[in-house]
Amino acid sequence: MSEHRHIIKTDAPPTSSVEDRSRGGGLWRDGLRRLGRRKLAMACLAVIILYFLLAGFIHLAELFDWPVGPMRWQEEAGKSYSPPGSKNIFGTDMFGQSVLRKTLYGAKISITVALCASLISIAIGVPLGAIAGYFRGFTDDVIVWIYSTLSSIPYILLILAFTVVLRDRSIFGHKLAGITAVYLAIGLTSWVGVCRLIRGEVIKHKDRGYVQAALSYGCGRWRIIFRHILPNVFHVVIIDFSLRFVAFVHAEVILSFLGLGETNNPSWGAMINDARMELSRGVWWQMVAATAAIFVLSLALNIFGDALRDSLDPKLRITRES
Amino acid sequence: MRDTRVKFLVFLFSAVLLITSGCERRPAEADADQMALRHVLYSRVSGLDPANVRDTYSRLVVSQIFEPLYDYHFLKRPYQLIPALAEQMPQISEDKLVYTIKIKKGVYFQDDNCFPQGIGRELEAEDFIFSLKRIADIKNLSPNWTYIDNRIAGLDEFREYTKTCRSAEDVDYSRNVEGLSSRDEYTLVIKLKKPWPQVVHSIMANTAFAPVAKEAVDYYGEDIISHPVGTGAFKLSAWRRGSYIELVRNGNFRGQVYPSRGEEGDAEAGYLDDAGRAIPFADKVVWTIIEEYRPTWLLFMQGKLDASVIPKDNYDEVMAGSGELTEAMKQRNIHLKTFSDPSTYWLGFNMADEVLGPNKALRRAISHAIDREKFIELFFNNRHLVAHGLIPPMMPSYNRRIKEKGYSKYDPEKARELLEQAAETNGGKIPGLKIAMPGIDTFYRQYGQFLKRNLNAIGLEVEIQYTDRPTYQERLNAGQVQMFASGHSAGIPDAQDFMSLFRSKNGTQAANGFNYSNARFDELYEQAQVMSDSPQRRRLYRQMELIVLEDCPAAFLNHRVAYVLCHDWYKNYKPHAFAYGLSKYRRIDKAKRSAYNELVKKSK
Amino acid sequence: MRTYIIRRLLYTIPIVFGVLLLSFVLFSVVGGDVSIEMAGEGAGAETIEEIRQEYGLNKPLLLAWDSQFVNHFKNALTFNFGKARDREPVIDKIKRGVGPSLALTVPMFFGVVIISVSLSLVLAFVHGSAWDTIGVVICVAGMSIPFLSFIFFGQYFLAYKWGLFPVFFSPDYSLAQNLGLPVLIGIAAGLGGNVRFYRTVMLDEMRSDYVRTAFAKGLSARRVLFKHVLKNAMVPVITRVVLAIPFLFLGSVLLERFFGIPGLGYLMVEAIGSRDYRIISAMTYISAILFVVFNLITDICYSLVDPRIALE
Repeated sequence: MSEHRHIIKTDAPPTSSVEDRSRGGGLWRDGLRRLGRRKLAMACLAVIILYFLLAGFIHLAELFDWPVGPMRWQEEAGKSYSPPGSKNIFGTDMFGQSVLRKTLYGAKISITVALCASLISIAIGVPLGAIAGYFRGFTDDVIVWIYSTLSSIPYILLILAFTVVLRDRSIFGHKLAGITAVYLAIGLTSWVGVCRLIRGEVIKHKDRGYVQAALSYGCGRWRIIFRHILPNVFHVVIIDFSLRFVAFVHAEVILSFLGLGETNNPSWGAMINDARMELSRGVWWQMVAATAAIFVLSLALNIFGDALRDSLDPKLRITRES
Repeated sequence: MRDTRVKFLVFLFSAVLLITSGCERRPAEADADQMALRHVLYSRVSGLDPANVRDTYSRLVVSQIFEPLYDYHFLKRPYQLIPALAEQMPQISEDKLVYTIKIKKGVYFQDDNCFPQGIGRELEAEDFIFSLKRIADIKNLSPNWTYIDNRIAGLDEFREYTKTCRSAEDVDYSRNVEGLSSRDEYTLVIKLKKPWPQVVHSIMANTAFAPVAKEAVDYYGEDIISHPVGTGAFKLSAWRRGSYIELVRNGNFRGQVYPSRGEEGDAEAGYLDDAGRAIPFADKVVWTIIEEYRPTWLLFMQGKLDASVIPKDNYDEVMAGSGELTEAMKQRNIHLKTFSDPSTYWLGFNMADEVLGPNKALRRAISHAIDREKFIELFFNNRHLVAHGLIPPMMPSYNRRIKEKGYSKYDPEKARELLEQAAETNGGKIPGLKIAMPGIDTFYRQYGQFLKRNLNAIGLEVEIQYTDRPTYQERLNAGQVQMFASGHSAGIPDAQDFMSLFRSKNGTQAANGFNYSNARFDELYEQAQVMSDSPQRRRLYRQMELIVLEDCPAAFLNHRVAYVLCHDWYKNYKPHAFAYGLSKYRRIDKAKRSAYNELVKKSK
Repeated sequence: MRTYIIRRLLYTIPIVFGVLLLSFVLFSVVGGDVSIEMAGEGAGAETIEEIRQEYGLNKPLLLAWDSQFVNHFKNALTFNFGKARDREPVIDKIKRGVGPSLALTVPMFFGVVIISVSLSLVLAFVHGSAWDTIGVVICVAGMSIPFLSFIFFGQYFLAYKWGLFPVFFSPDYSLAQNLGLPVLIGIAAGLGGNVRFYRTVMLDEMRSDYVRTAFAKGLSARRVLFKHVLKNAMVPVITRVVLAIPFLFLGSVLLERFFGIPGLGYLMVEAIGSRDYRIISAMTYISAILFVVFNLITDICYSLVDPRIALE
């Protein structure tokens, strides 16, 4: 079931406990201090940062043509299918390419996809949710209609449908090859959760004192939404996405596995797919390497996400269906 | 209040459970006293209407149920046609245009509800005419029309007529077609537009043109794809789409005996043990549809399949270094059969492309950059043959000295030199090239990677475009690809199929991807087309092949050699490159099969 | 009450409309004309034209009485999805796939629910102890393993190495034998996330006032847990279960692909491979309808039980 790792919120808007806003910025300062005290969470954060740095580094290396290890994944590092040893920690694949290098390179694909998908869904979900929550009425009805429609279609079906349709299509003269189609598909289908969340929060905040105060100063409605309310509810977005990120990483793996993802460069899903057949000849290392890479990243994200939620907003409950 | 709510939901919950638990189905148990052949299909079967077979696997199943006029001799090599539904080989008129064929008397369709009282009717010449018209009828969208396009007198006019009909029901099949007539109930006369000696192999021995009963078409309508009514040795008993197909013996089968003569060595191989006995032997044929090699292999080793290919990753388990089976395989009495497939695979170039088309040096460079031997080692465990030319080695027109020409030689040095020349011709560095792959699965991804590695090694930038097959086909037809991985397997023992890929596009034929055009080649093609197989014609083919190789519209890579394993209980399993309807010849030695099952049980 | 039901019914109309609109935009506007792909290798221009005619692809996209847009709606509302690429009616394919898919997902889903509710009760019972911590850590670890790896290692070790299950779906085995391993893998993969979810539900319930009262009355922990907490926690559990039921009809794309189970998940993968938009579109529509219907039923049932809802 965990392939439908989509996120369903209980329909009741989550109750926010952050009543005390007089000490501006206290929420974040307190939260981060609480977070800092959790050693495990900090270790996980370090792991996550490492993955991000690795992905960023490979992007830079690609840009400037640095001849670093992961960039040279295409080189022959040994004989075909040589087992893990001192020369190649994770052994080699069919073409004698180093599995370690491929795994490292795979981080770039996964992180890029998950990050871009997150950004797209935040860029769509947050403004729509805020507008719907603030204006209510007809605008609200339309936005709620759009996301109810999307959420009535099973997530995996929706993502697959989007990817299949978007693949190899050109939009504004730009061809949607490989991972672009993947993160567009994930992003365009995953904004529903955050939109619903923000809408609920905004509805609650709308009647709060600080909003009323801003209104009485004659602030414009857009200014109130984007300068006053959103910064106050944005921690919800951060928490939501720290957990959703994992789902995106896994979605990318599944799409790559189905052959719909990145194809010209190594990715974890493609590695797992290749390894599937090799197992009968006793070649297990490619499978294990890719699984381990995904496992460590998702474990770190899961633990860190939980800690972040507990620290920033102890009573907010973001539950996940898996 | 909460209690009622809970109770209600529990009720709902159990109702759903009850409804859904009803979806059981029976396990297919093989009866102990029946002789069942157990095979595997590597792909789903799309339909069992001969006129509409689109893929090899559908054709395989259809060929057990339907019979064409002629069929290949089971044992004799080189491949030879013998009459099946026909009484004897066709009588051909002087001008090579009119074929008169006598049909066997006393052949009955299988019993089916579409006939009065459910009893099969006798086959007549009209049934062949009806079946050919069905393929011409555009409402049927038959993919087999290309075989007879512009071949039979009056049939193209019939096709034009069907275009004017509003719906499939409006098409009048009694409409006269000049080239198709019956002299009496058992005599079929076919008139061609121009001489075409391959008509016997391409049409009359092709299951796609096997007779279909008009009653069945009328009775089942569009559902005919799942209700085959034929004259073959077997008939459909169960078809669970995407899962398995089961055929049983057709009680109305015309009767045939196992051949008593074959080629040299057949007697020693045990292929003549059943000589003179009535076929079919098996009561039942079961195909399980499994789209992956690994599970197939396991089922084979468990004794649940009679034969299997050797998956790439199980090769070491099966074959010892010397091209022999390993001891473990021999102990299990597993036999190896190899045969040369009439196929060639290549990396094609789109000659209409502005970079590749005018630059022969570039195309040659790419051809010399690909290490075919390494390719065959990595992907096919050294089993395939390097393609030095276009025509597969098993064809009579194969040129034994083609290797000396060195068109397919792996020579990175030469490739780099040629690439420099190519850059000059191009007026600057060769831009990044693109290769289209017809699939997105592991094999194609690794294949693409292999090509990329080879071309990168000589300093060419390439991007591999992996697309699903329909998209690939669409782009190929539209001429939107630069290079493409492709191949072809001949349907008849003649190289004509391969040659036709390289003739200039003519209006009716869809693009073949190469967009190749050579006036001399076309001229020779026209000449060879009207000739029957002869040394002159073979010489023409070799000449044409050399023209193609010199122009280099493709880098020819490999010819497939099939390696199949079978258990010792699977009798009369002689591989055949062209015939499909062979299940009727196969026999199972049930004692040996149960002995194997004992062996498997013990080893657990 | 009646007005509520009518209102609720009316509310489903725009959703169904939205789903149809979405599938139209995706498959007909963005996806484009598939007639060339459908015609296959070596097809002539006339065959392609005939296919365009047969499938109505030559009609105007919008803005006509007989446009593709109108036909899309007409066909969907009459459950006429046309023919798939291999010319078999789409609806037949779907009907055939439902059985195996449900046979896979129903035991899997309820297995996951029953086991994880029980485990979460245990964890809630030992809440705060080292066992609880270990349990949560295992859950998080289980959630972090990719689903593919679960399938992969399950198939390799349980079926291939140890021979406990058939490796692949085969008509020679009974349904129970065929589906045993996929169901087991599905349950194993689903446990992590679900146990953690239900544990939170249980803990929330344990923090409520009535539990405090029950404890204050001097009831034993076990009695409180089973008599009160479990009973009340069943409401969110069952709500979640009922809402998940429509998704069960879809089967499991990956499990079915791996084990060759001829269900709807497999159909989906196949449709992707051949770009058969009609199948994907029909499945999108049907699953959305199921979801909407189940939602409707649950809501109406709730309002029957609790009239306050209807007034909201």
